[in-house]
Amino acid sequence: MTTQESPFDELDALQLWMQTVITHPAGVKAGVASKNANQIFDMREAEIERVIQPSETLSAIQRLEIYSNAYFARLSSCLLDEFPAFAYAVGDTAFQAFASEYLQTFPSNSYTLSALGRSFPSFLRATRPADLSFESLGPTWADFLIELATVERVYSEVFDGPGIEHERVADPQDFASLSVVQWLGARLTPAPCLRLVQLSYPVHEYITDVRRGRNPQTPAPSKTYLVITRRNYLVRRSAVGESEFGLLTALANGLTVGDGVAYVAQQNQSDIDALEFELSQWFRNWAEAGYFRQIVLAS
Amino acid sequence: MLRRGRLRRLNCLESPQSRSDYAYLGLGVGLRTVHFDYLLRHTPAVDWFEIISENFMDSEGRPRYVLDQIAERYPVVMHGVSLSIGSTAPLNFKYLRKLKTLADAVNARWVSDHVCWTGVAGRNTHDLLPIPMNEESLRHVVRRIQIVQDVLERRIVLENPSSYVTFAASTMPEWEFLSRMADDADCGLLLDINNVYVSSVNHGFHAETYIRSLPHHRIAQFHLAGHTNCGTHLIDTHDGPVIDPVWKLFQTAYKLTQNVSTLLEWDARVPEFPILHAEVLKSQRYIAGVCDGEANKTSETPKASYTHGDDVKLATTPHPAVFVAAEVE
Repeated sequence: MTTQESPFDELDALQLWMQTVITHPAGVKAGVASKNANQIFDMREAEIERVIQPSETLSAIQRLEIYSNAYFARLSSCLLDEFPAFAYAVGDTAFQAFASEYLQTFPSNSYTLSALGRSFPSFLRATRPADLSFESLGPTWADFLIELATVERVYSEVFDGPGIEHERVADPQDFASLSVVQWLGARLTPAPCLRLVQLSYPVHEYITDVRRGRNPQTPAPSKTYLVITRRNYLVRRSAVGESEFGLLTALANGLTVGDGVAYVAQQNQSDIDALEFELSQWFRNWAEAGYFRQIVLAS
Repeated sequence: MLRRGRLRRLNCLESPQSRSDYAYLGLGVGLRTVHFDYLLRHTPAVDWFEIISENFMDSEGRPRYVLDQIAERYPVVMHGVSLSIGSTAPLNFKYLRKLKTLADAVNARWVSDHVCWTGVAGRNTHDLLPIPMNEESLRHVVRRIQIVQDVLERRIVLENPSSYVTFAASTMPEWEFLSRMADDADCGLLLDINNVYVSSVNHGFHAETYIRSLPHHRIAQFHLAGHTNCGTHLIDTHDGPVIDPVWKLFQTAYKLTQNVSTLLEWDARVPEFPILHAEVLKSQRYIAGVCDGEANKTSETPKASYTHGDDVKLATTPHPAVFVAAEVE
């Protein structure tokens, strides 16, 4: 230990230097030699003992490498916990590369690790290889990966976000008690945990298989309309048809039931009467699943 | 500043034998998601639970639901990993307000974190990074503890982390830093016995001297955990049983303090709850001064090597690495 004052004693500079060094993607030696580190402490690797002392068994660089290795290993491990199906799809080596690149682009700025993966889907979208994005060729492997990450992140947000466990939600009796006029003019308030996700691949099944320890193959592209919600604190997902998904989306966006049904009928180029049986079934299912917390009648 | 009389009432002595200013809660374990179902079904006879604060302070889902159930049945202590009391970055008051809200809601017996920093310049490394043990750091940390205690309206408790580097700028041993910090800031100490052992090997100091030198009345709690021996150094991995030298240090510390709440941390390769609980119950033998043959069979987590690639790196990730994964039907 030393009692001599030196520029390396200043706490704020020391912390910024250490963080710069241990989070450098090429390792501690590259971190020490980096321009950012040298702007804080202008020194070469050989001088590092002016800041970090060696132990009997490890050099100063090796001691810092414990923190450097831990930084990437810890945060990659958290991303792996949140995106297991994505990791399975790309394999260990590629996953570590994705994670490393992501952590450099979006280093954590939150007190909670639950925020770490927030930008992972958008990171994948932004870094998607341009030569694989020909829409005319249909969905690609890149789309599959982005959709996997998107749905896995939605699962996290739904799991720990606001839910309806302590609320009375609109039940089948509420729906049945309305007159036709009331019904058509009503708006439905979605549960805060309701998410509607349109996909090119049935990634929900792939994710479930990975989580259950199976070894799924990459599925063929198939338009998938996924409804994700939470009941009794567990995330639940259900694939629905295009029309049902369209009406759910319209209602979640604030359209009245009448306008929503008309919109879906128009999209399907069918009349409302043709949808009547399905509508009855859909609303019963939605009520049982707790997709809507409230029916708001027109005044 | 807080009025000491109020703090005394908050953290009143419950045992006349204890030399600690804090209530004796008994033998507890860390609340981990893998045990949620077991705990709700079986309500095991655990004395108390410690939670990772950050895993619950924003939760509106199952983690918070389970915590509320646990808090109804058991005493709860909050243990954070992002206070960053040693950082030169500004304190996060939004975080502190959330910490206080949660502490009030679950009737936390105390709120703890680590003597460390986790990041600067808007970043969080999510590691418990060490600070140089010198006068500047001491003044800085004491000032920030006082602010935190004012916001939380309670005395906080700070833990000695395991560390792997020694700063040339350090001018005093860690035990002196902690002792002066606790006295100057009027805060409590969480003595992690495993961390003392890990750091003593990594830095070459005498672990028992460390423990004997602390102000024992300020020790609110002990931590016990397993670690990994990497040959050239130890890493605080929380991935196995407590080893004999740590148990012996615990015995020494317990004799010096008497009736200090003790908690086992196990964060990687987490076993079934009964195994975890049985591990902390081994403390009773050491508290009674009885180290029987079974207790002595414990050994260090096997030596790890850095020559086998990423799997080993993951296996030797130091605490904390606690992420709450979504549960999907």
